[in-house]
Parts: sequence; structure tokens; C-alpha cells
Amino acid sequence: MTYNHTRIGLALASVLGSLSALACGGAAVPHDQMTAAEANVSAAEAGGAEDVPRAALSVKKAKDQITEAKALIEKGENEKAEWALERASVDATLALAIARETALQVEAEKALAEVQALKDKSKK
Amino acid sequence: MSTKQIKASMIKPGLATMTAGLLLACGAATAPMELHSAEDAMLNAEHSKAPDVAPVKLEEARQALAKAEQAFKDGDDEDHVKTLAYVAQRSAELAVSVGNQEFAKKQSADAMKDKMQLQGVLLEATTEELADRKKLEAASKIGAEEVARVKGELDKERAAREGAEARAAAALAQIAKVSQEKRGMVITLSGEVLFTTGRSELLPMARQKLSDVAKALKEQGYKHLRVEGHTDSRGAPSQNEALSLRRAQAVRSYLVSEGIDSDKIEAVGNGSREPIADNATADGRANNRRVEIVVDPVN
Repeated sequence: MTYNHTRIGLALASVLGSLSALACGGAAVPHDQMTAAEANVSAAEAGGAEDVPRAALSVKKAKDQITEAKALIEKGENEKAEWALERASVDATLALAIARETALQVEAEKALAEVQALKDKSKK
Repeated sequence: MSTKQIKASMIKPGLATMTAGLLLACGAATAPMELHSAEDAMLNAEHSKAPDVAPVKLEEARQALAKAEQAFKDGDDEDHVKTLAYVAQRSAELAVSVGNQEFAKKQSADAMKDKMQLQGVLLEATTEELADRKKLEAASKIGAEEVARVKGELDKERAAREGAEARAAAALAQIAKVSQEKRGMVITLSGEVLFTTGRSELLPMARQKLSDVAKALKEQGYKHLRVEGHTDSRGAPSQNEALSLRRAQAVRSYLVSEGIDSDKIEAVGNGSREPIADNATADGRANNRRVEIVVDPVN
């Protein structure tokens, strides 16, 4: 096989590969998105999302969508799996934000109560 | 959709629906529910604390919504549009949450500042109160010490006075007869010891005795002294009276020379008017010839 033959062969293989991907849903398996979604869920759980009902609900949605994405990948519907993973990621990110928000609000309320107590004490 | 468009949709909440309706009229698909939800979430975010404290997150949400709306307009796959709308909705909710986080952080920081300031004020007040209390305690301690000191001094003085009085009384008792009568304390000196018969010059021995009496009186203290001269009943009463007065005056003069205050001592001559013994006997007459010093006389 000459050098030119080799190039033609590689080009053909590439075209065939693309055609094959299109036949399976037109997208590659969203490994990176899966990793990102799962990492976001772990971060939300580590951030105390499970202890805040609204955040826990978002975590559940994220997990459900990861499960859905896995099923879609199994069926070769990689593009839809990628979308499901995008939704999972944003749900997990929101869960972590809600958990942080709740913790910060509790902290602020405590600080305000302490200030009020000091104000009451200084009036006596 | 730009910010202006978002604000316009706030004024006309049905804009998205209208857009969707127009698209439908043109033969396009109806906007998915997810897109409406995203637009509602965006409106909510615009009205939250996010514009002030989380503008970056809010802008990301706006861009996510714009992307979803563009995908819808472009006739993208419905599931993809729904996903983009879903992401936009969550991004808007995220902006609200981050806004709330920043607000809570600011509240905590402000409260911390207030707390430190109040603690400072309270500490200052407490320090002042403690200082005042310490001052009061010190003052009361000083007060108590002063009272104890004065009391101690008074006790000492009283003890010293009582001691002096006792010593003076004992000394007087050795020098002369001392008796406590209604008219006051009476020191009786025998005329035999003080004078020769019919004379009013003090004998040397009398001077010694009177010096001791003056010393004792000064130690004991006195307000007033009355020196009374007495004779027996022999001789003319007028002569007796004059003699008794001269003798009393002689004693008074001597006592004054020994330091008795002249303003506080008087001399009287009682003659034979106040005998203390029988004038019929020699012993009785000897007793009647006397000089009495009445200390602090009642009358």
C-alpha cells in the first residue's frame, strides 16, 4: 500500500465512522457530561442538599435524569442523553445553591438575633 | 431575548404567549410549557435581589433563556428546546438563590459589625460600672477604716481618761479625804496641816500637798472649783468668817500658781457655820477647822 492509498483509506474510515455515528443517533456517548452531572450531584450532597427539602428534590430530579440518560445511552440515543445530563447538571447546581442559601440565611438570622439580644441588653 | 425585551415582557406578561401564537399562525409549533416556565422564572429573577447582588448569574440566565427562545424560533428539536428552556428556568432560579446568598452574607456581615459595636459599648459600660463599684467599695472601705480608727482613738482616749481619773482619785485619796456628796466631789484638807492657829499663811507641808492636789485635779479635769474655808466655833463669828475666807483665798492662790485656771476657781469663807464635828471636843474642833475643795459644784 502506497502513501496515497493509506490517506484514502483513512479518509474512508473517517467517513464510515461518521455515518455509523449518525445511524446511532448522530452523537457520541456524552461521557464528559455524565461525569460533570455526577460530580455536580456529589457536590450538592456534600453541600448538605439532602437536609434541605427543596434542594433534596432537585438532587432527586438530577439523579432521575442521570438514570434516564444512562437508559438513553443504552438505546444509543446519545443526543437525548446529553440533554438529560444537561438538565441533571443544572438541577444539581441549583440544589447546591439552595442548600448554601438556606445555611447562609440561618446564619444571618442567628446573627441578627444576637444583635437584637445585645440591643435589648444595652437598653436595660 | 435581551434585557429590554425581558423588561417589555414584564410589562406585557403575555408577550411570549403572543409570540408563540404568532408562530403557530405561521404554521410553526406551539411554544412548549418549559419555555413559559423559564420566562416566568426570569421575571421572578428580575424582581429578586439578583439584579443588585448577583448580576453575573442573572446575565447567564438571560442568555440561557435567549438561547432557548432562539432554538424555538429556529424550529429546533422540541426536546432540545425543552432542555434549553429547562436549563434557562433553573439558571433564573439559580440567580435568585445566589442573590439571596449574597444578601444573607451581607446581613451577617452587617450584624457582625453591629454586634462588635454593641459589645464594645456594653464592655465600656460594664467597665465603667465595675470601676464605679470598685470606687464605691474602696470609699466604703476607707469610710469603715476611718470609723474604726476614730472609734479606736475615742476608746483609747476614754480609757486614758478613766485611767487618769482613777489615778487622780487614788492620788487625791492619799493626799486628802475625798468624798462624793450631793454638792459634788469634795476634797477635804485638815486645817491643822495647812495653817498655824489663827493664821492664813500656808505651811510648807501644805504647799506640797496642794501641789499634789493641783496635779491630780489637772489630770482628772474639772469645769469649776470652789474652795471653802471653815473654822471651829471658838472666837467671834465675824472673825472666823474673815479667817476662813483668807485661808480659802490662800489655797485658791496657791492652786492657781500650780496651774489651775483662775477663771474656774473661786474662794468662799464659811466661818463656823457648817461644822462637820462636835465643837465641844478638841478632836471635833480640829475636824471642823478645814478647807474643802468642791469639784464641779452642783450649786
